[in-house]
Formats: sequence, C-alpha cells, structure tokens
Amino acid sequence: MKAIEFINVDRAFKDGDKTVKALQPTNFSIDRGQFVAIIGPSGSGKSTFLTIAGGLQAPSHGEVKINGQRFSTESEKKRSKIRLSEIGFILQASNLVPFLTIKQQLQLVDRVDKGKANREEILTLLEQLDIADLQNKYPGEISGGQRQRAAIARALYNDPTIILADEPTASLDTDKAYQVVEILAQETKRKNKATIMVTHDTRLIEYCDQVFEMKDGVLQEVQLTATT
Amino acid sequence: MFLAWNEIKYSKVRYLLIIGVLFLISYLVFFLTGLAYGLAQENRTAIDSWDADGIILPEEANGNFNMSLFSAEELDNIQADEKAILGQTPAVIEKDQEDSGEDRLDVRFLGIDTEQFLTPDVVEGRLVESDGEVVADISLKEENGLNLNDSITLVGGEQAFEIVGFMEDAKLSVAPVLYTTIEAFQEIRFGEPVSDDSELAISAIVVRSETDELDQITIDNDQLELIPIGDFINDLPGYNAQLLTFVFMISFLIVIAAIVIGIFIYVLTMQKVNIFGVMKAQGISSGYISKSVIAQTFLLSLIGVLVGLLATLGTALLLPAAVPFRSNELFLIVVSMLMIGIAILGALFSVRTIVKIDPLKAIS
Repeated sequence: MKAIEFINVDRAFKDGDKTVKALQPTNFSIDRGQFVAIIGPSGSGKSTFLTIAGGLQAPSHGEVKINGQRFSTESEKKRSKIRLSEIGFILQASNLVPFLTIKQQLQLVDRVDKGKANREEILTLLEQLDIADLQNKYPGEISGGQRQRAAIARALYNDPTIILADEPTASLDTDKAYQVVEILAQETKRKNKATIMVTHDTRLIEYCDQVFEMKDGVLQEVQLTATT
Repeated sequence: MFLAWNEIKYSKVRYLLIIGVLFLISYLVFFLTGLAYGLAQENRTAIDSWDADGIILPEEANGNFNMSLFSAEELDNIQADEKAILGQTPAVIEKDQEDSGEDRLDVRFLGIDTEQFLTPDVVEGRLVESDGEVVADISLKEENGLNLNDSITLVGGEQAFEIVGFMEDAKLSVAPVLYTTIEAFQEIRFGEPVSDDSELAISAIVVRSETDELDQITIDNDQLELIPIGDFINDLPGYNAQLLTFVFMISFLIVIAAIVIGIFIYVLTMQKVNIFGVMKAQGISSGYISKSVIAQTFLLSLIGVLVGLLATLGTALLLPAAVPFRSNELFLIVVSMLMIGIAILGALFSVRTIVKIDPLKAIS
C-alpha cells in the first residue's frame, strides 16, 4: 500500500478569463520509509503539489489517496482530521506557535487529538532531535536551526504517515540546512515515514531517495546519477 | 483553555491592559449599580417596611401624598384585611442646644396610630407612647450624631420632640423618617393640635390584603382611589427619573464593555491570522481555535469582573455613610454574569474570522 498516491491529479486556476494549469495531470506515489525531494523554480507548481498533498486545496480533477483511503474527496472537516493524524507539516519559519514553549507545541497536539500521541514520548523525541534542553523555551528564544528541529519534532510527534516539508531550510545557512535535512532523512528511515520535501536548493538532494523536478506544472523524475 | 491561558501568560502586559480596561468598566458598572440601588432604596425603604399592598389617596392628589389631606373618618368607609391611617409631612428640625443653624436637617414626619400595623420595628429604644416622642431612622444617629433621649425642635415652630427609639431602613424620598403619633402630625402640619377627633386629617390610608390581591378591598367613597403600592412607589417624585437614568447608564456601559472587548479580541485575532492558519494547516480545527478564543475572552472578563467586584466591595467599606451606596448580592451576580456573557458575545464576532481563515494563504 502506498503512503500517498496521486491519481491523475491536476489543478487549474482561473486568471481573468484564461485558465492556468498550475499542475498538469500527475500520477505519483511514494512508500513509507522514502524520502523524496521536489525541486524547481518558484511558480513552477511545487507548492500547489504540496498543498494538494496536504489537503489544503482540492485538485480540479483526479484523486489523492492516503494509505489507500480517500482523502482529497473528503469534506473539509474530515480532511482536517486526517491531516492532524496522518500528515506532519514542516513549514518555513512560521511553523511554531510563538506563545507556546517547545514542549507545549507538542502538547497542543495532545489537546486536539487525544489518544494517538504518547506523552512520555515528548522527551525522547526532543532528545533524538537534540533539543531536549530547549523544551521550556519559546520559539523566539532559540535559533533558526533549533526552531526547524522543533518543527520536525512537532511534525513527527503525532506519528503521522506522511511528512510534508515546504522549504524547511529557507531561512538557514548551509551548515544548518544540511543538518536539518540530515535529521529529516534520519527520522524518515528510523520512524518509517513517507517524506516529501519541496526545496529550491539542489545541494540538499543527496540525502533523498528520489528526486522530482517540477517545471510548468509537470512533475518529472530526475535520475540522481545525472545530477551528481 | 490550553492555548488561551498559555497565550495570556506569554503576553502578560497586553492581556493585563485588556483586563485593566474590563476591570475599570466593571468597577464603574458595579459602583453605579450600587448607587442606583442605594438611591432607589432611600426613596422607598420606609414604604417597603410597611409591607403594604395598596395605599388610598384622594383622587385629586394624583397619586402623590405630599399634598393629600382627608378626614380620618374615611377609615370607616374602607373594607380591607388590615388598614392604617398615615399622616405625612416634610419638615426641618434642629437639635436642641444648637443655635448655629448648621445642623438643620430635612426629615419626613410620619404620623401613625400606634395600634395599627404601621408601627416601626425599633432596633434601639422603644416605640412612641405619647405625642412628644419620635422614633427616628438610624441614619440620624450614624450620620448626624443624634442619640436616644436627645431633644429636637421643629424649625419655625415650637414643638419639641424626644427621640425614644431608632429603626433601620426608614427613608422616604431620600429623607430620614421620624415616626410620631397622628396627633403630633396634626400639630406639625397645622401648627395647632386638634380639639376633636372628628377633625383629624390624614394624608393616606395604607391597606394590606391577606391574599396580596387588591380586588377584595372596597372603598365607599368616589373621591378616594386605591393605588397598588408598586405604582405608588414608581410615582414618588423623582424616583422613576433617577432609576431610569441609572438603568440607562448601566446598560450603556455594559454594551460599551461588549464592544470594547469585541474590538480587542478582533484585533488580536487579526494579528494571529497567520498563526491560526498554520494551526489549521496542521489539522487543528476551526472549532478548537474558536473555543480557545472564547475561553480566553471568558478568562479575561472573569478576571476583570472579579477584580472589579472586589474593588467595589472594598470601596464600599471605605465610603462615608452619606453616600447612598448599597450592594445587593442578586444585582452583583446578575451584572457580573451579564458582563461576562456580553463580552463573550463580543468575541463571537471573531469566530467568523477564524472560520474564514484559509490555511493555504497562511503557509504560502
């Protein structure tokens, strides 16, 4: 069973009286334990792809399935629930709630979705990501790299099937960016997640199992040997 | 509650300011409520203490017993479970041995027949036994320093009275009441005592009915009319005007409180649109976020109102006795709940905004 599967998915926008295809009909799937990168220039449609994968917008045609279950065709409310339990989002910098400490960011998940998360796991998880000593700090008090690690912890905490990372290294310098992606790759393998990372930074793809390139709404696999 | 409380803890100053505004408004509302109630009571406590159901006045008096006068013999024309004659007149008195004129007091004399039901509940001293004695409202002791056995004189007249007792809650049209005999009332009103009981004039006849219904009371005289005691109180000169002024101010303040907190919460929500958008992207429902905004409003208004309540009660302890402030538990509870309820109503305004937040915009 595929962790996430795009079946003939496309997405069109109305721009004035023209119709713009942000995403051409796409078939795509990945398994658990796979770390996939999607690269491409801005405006190429990779954000559209990611937000459709996360159920934040519905495809114009086709269907997205998660763990073989209907997803994109569900109601907004149901999608929100699936998102909470099956998808971990890692966004650029604004990912964390500014008025919650790192520990509370994770506890918030418990409050909303009782049951799935294991409270004792918080510390283990933070230790694995090497930010256990920051658990009582607010996001504003720690560095960008530490914030992204906290965001990864937040995304992993609820034990989702899929991790969607949207430019997770955008605000970081090269060293920190490598570290964050390395952690992401590590956790993907260790926790058996299906991770999709959207990035414009081609240097980061060495950690990935598969790389796709998005160009004018067309998703194409890039042979790793060809890029290195 | 988790989000709500942690945010308040994080942005202490911001939320303290909001609580401060709510505290000030609720303090003002409580205080005005206390004053309104106190002032209303000063108009009517004497009447309330009679526990009467109706009052009979000449029709010409137009519901106002200040100018009404009729013969005490009319009592026989009235059929009621209990009835009592009452003479009422405003007067100015001064304490004996004082000639400075500074201690002149406006009072209301009520002349009663001590064998009828209008006799006051004396808390200190004893009831009136003869024409030269009065039972006075306790405020004359607490605020004006009169004591038992003090002698008072009518200004502009020669009559002197001895205070033989005090009672609580005896004010009429914001003046302290002095109960005396109906004969003494005649003398105060007309300057000379009546020689014959048939000449006895009274201001009103107060009636009680065992069933609290007025239809069993009959009057054999077209010139007299029966007024339910509630209507009579509402028609006291100035009473309704005062009360309505306060009610108007208080209700406006409560509405203002709702608008102020509504705007505060709305501005705060607008500031957090991005944060809420990210939360929604992560799968946290609009319902949960809305609930936490409502919970936050509840917390803020609860704290503000409670502090306002404490400050009001604290101030009440420090107020001089002359300020007609009176707190009433029922009013305090109702006003508190109204303030909190209406603040939450103001916050509901923001819920619409939260529901409308598109997580897609927040993350792109």
